[in-house]
Amino acid sequence: MADLPVYTIDRIFNAPRAVVWRAWTDPQLLAQWYGPGVDTIIHRFDLRPGGEWRNEMRWGDKSDLSKMVFEEVTPPEKLVWRHSSVDAEWNVASNPMMPDWPRTLLATVTFKELEARTGVRLTMTPIDASDAEIACFANAMAGMDKGWGSGFTVLEELLATL
Amino acid sequence: MVMISAMASSPPSQLDAVFSALADPTRRAILSRLADGQATVNEIARPFEMSQPAVSKHLKVLEQAGLIERAVEAQRRPARLKAEAMADAVEWLTRFKAFWGDSFDQLDALLLTMNQTNDKDTDHG
Repeated sequence: MADLPVYTIDRIFNAPRAVVWRAWTDPQLLAQWYGPGVDTIIHRFDLRPGGEWRNEMRWGDKSDLSKMVFEEVTPPEKLVWRHSSVDAEWNVASNPMMPDWPRTLLATVTFKELEARTGVRLTMTPIDASDAEIACFANAMAGMDKGWGSGFTVLEELLATL
Repeated sequence: MVMISAMASSPPSQLDAVFSALADPTRRAILSRLADGQATVNEIARPFEMSQPAVSKHLKVLEQAGLIERAVEAQRRPARLKAEAMADAVEWLTRFKAFWGDSFDQLDALLLTMNQTNDKDTDHG
């Protein structure tokens, strides 16, 4: 398990922890920020272990569904959920465009009090994944973390020449 | 997630091959070299102080990922960059990477308005 690839993002928010927690766990607030530049519709939000967050993102004429099943809800410190791509019936399914991308990632969010501010750390790692899914995610993460800092610059230069 | 549906043209299995190929720094350096123009195995090997078979092996991985093509007609078989496959993989990763970062920017903005609302509540309360 220790070898599973992990995606991590840290951010400090300029608001007290209770407020940040509310923005993550009140679906009306969550829908306002979750998903970059898309319309987010939360079809179900049942904030308890085993409960589901059914999420739809719409942009243009496109729609993308994902299902989150909460594993741990510890206000105002920690949220853990299984983050899955789903078909139109909300069943976990691999995406036809990317069959080797992990169908389910375990997302863990921690909220740390930093005086009047809040430190948030989010990690995502494959769970119940096939070897192919783990390899695909690991390759993508290796690309992101190790050396792609400069690698990305090179690639962007290359792409600019297209 | 949103970036999955946004993917376009490449066959799916090829995308994983692209990720895998790009994860290696030597192969990225080779791609960088080819961005300056096509080159033979000899020409590629020189600055890397690598054996030709080692370079050939890397070229094979890049070719199978669809990132380069080799001329079939010439004896020297110069390698040439094919950037379309890379464009798809980079777009995928960029979107994955941007997802939470951009969402967090939106959360920043929301928290600002929530704080203001809280202040107002306090004033009136």
